[in-house]
Amino acid sequence: MEPGPPTRQPAAPAVPSARATRADPTGMRIILGAGGLVALSALVTAIVVPPAPASAPAPIPAASPATVARQRPVQYIQLAPGQSPPPGATVIDAKAPKPVTIVTRVPAPTPKTVVIRTTQSGKVIP
Amino acid sequence: MTAVAGMRPAARSRRVPSSAAPDPAILLPVAPVSVATRAMGGRLGVHVDAAPPEAERARRDGRRVLARVGRWADRLSRHLGTSELSRLNTDPRPRVRIGPTLAAVLRAAIDASEASDGLVDIGLLDARLAAEGIRPAGIATEELGTACLGTSARAWSLQAEPRGCAVVIRPPGLRLDLGGVAKGWLADRALDLLDGWPGAVVDADGDLALRAAPGRSWSVAVDDPRASGAALAVLRLSAPARGWPVRWGVATSGTSIHRWLRDGTVRHHLIDPRTGRPAVTDVVQATVVCASALRAEALAKAAVIAGTIEGLALLDRAGVGGAIVLTDHDEVLALPGTRDLLADDGD
Repeated sequence: MEPGPPTRQPAAPAVPSARATRADPTGMRIILGAGGLVALSALVTAIVVPPAPASAPAPIPAASPATVARQRPVQYIQLAPGQSPPPGATVIDAKAPKPVTIVTRVPAPTPKTVVIRTTQSGKVIP
Repeated sequence: MTAVAGMRPAARSRRVPSSAAPDPAILLPVAPVSVATRAMGGRLGVHVDAAPPEAERARRDGRRVLARVGRWADRLSRHLGTSELSRLNTDPRPRVRIGPTLAAVLRAAIDASEASDGLVDIGLLDARLAAEGIRPAGIATEELGTACLGTSARAWSLQAEPRGCAVVIRPPGLRLDLGGVAKGWLADRALDLLDGWPGAVVDADGDLALRAAPGRSWSVAVDDPRASGAALAVLRLSAPARGWPVRWGVATSGTSIHRWLRDGTVRHHLIDPRTGRPAVTDVVQATVVCASALRAEALAKAAVIAGTIEGLALLDRAGVGGAIVLTDHDEVLALPGTRDLLADDGD
């Protein structure tokens, strides 16, 4: 009896090989490449084109009635070695507490129907 | 490194007297009747708060006051050779008798000197002329007054005489320049002459004497010397609706108009009596609000001469109603009490 044709052995369960199970990287490479291009484009745009101002400027607080009081330090004259203080100035120790005064910053308003004006002498009023 | 400061610690402003505090419920801006002329080398104006039916009478009173003040000014000007001041300045005697008008202004000059801690001194004419590059004619250097030698002591004095007259006692050659003192004094006296009008202003070349009628307010622009027609601030000087008229003096002094270039150096007309030379200062202009034009003018000038730190301290000690200072760094500073005097935007 002739041996019959070899029967096909039932296929053993396929053992996934490392090569066979690795995902196709092409898609991911395309995605990463595209993302890189987008990021690079955005970066170049930000560098080359300066930030454009907003179409409408940020709202400026309405001019206050010129009564904004701030506490500010007195400006000192810092003396370098060898310098002399101006006439009449009081020299205080640098470690002494700093004297302060309160002043009011006066924003320049737009005069409306003002008929009286105080000026330096000799000023020619148009 | 050492710090230099002339300001007393924790300097604080004083409040405007309660009688002068603005009442927000009132304050009608004034549309005045105005007349003007020229005197003392500048403008001289009168503004009267008058209702339309009284406008003509106000105009007539204004002209009458201008004429009288003009006559006074002619006695006090150093630019007129016929003035009483010019005769005093050319008189070689150390003791010279003067009339009541000049005597009154010289007494006011003493008050101004005392109010400004000696920084306002009318005996510095020759130092001022030297700053302009003008050598005093006919006066030898050794005859110049001691004021030119850099002393803060007032070198002249007054001795009272009957009927308001006085005798001026001074070193030989010392010449006087009434300048802003005369303008402040004239503004105050002119306002006295307008006592029939509760609301009136006298403008003596930028130095103002004001009186606000009850319930009325004057708007006063503080000139910005950096731009024509501009203002550093607008003051609203008013009187309560129920009460008496309130009187003010407002004056401005600075270094940006009367200035000259001599030998490559910029000089100006405000002489520091401590040095006998144009003041070295960081203040370009100072405006002071107080009870009289004379005092306001003296203190404004003193603040410019003293500089920002010492000047604000001086004004604080003097108890002024308000002060606005422009520095050479383009800063606009004010004592806190000035807030009560600033006009709202809607004014």
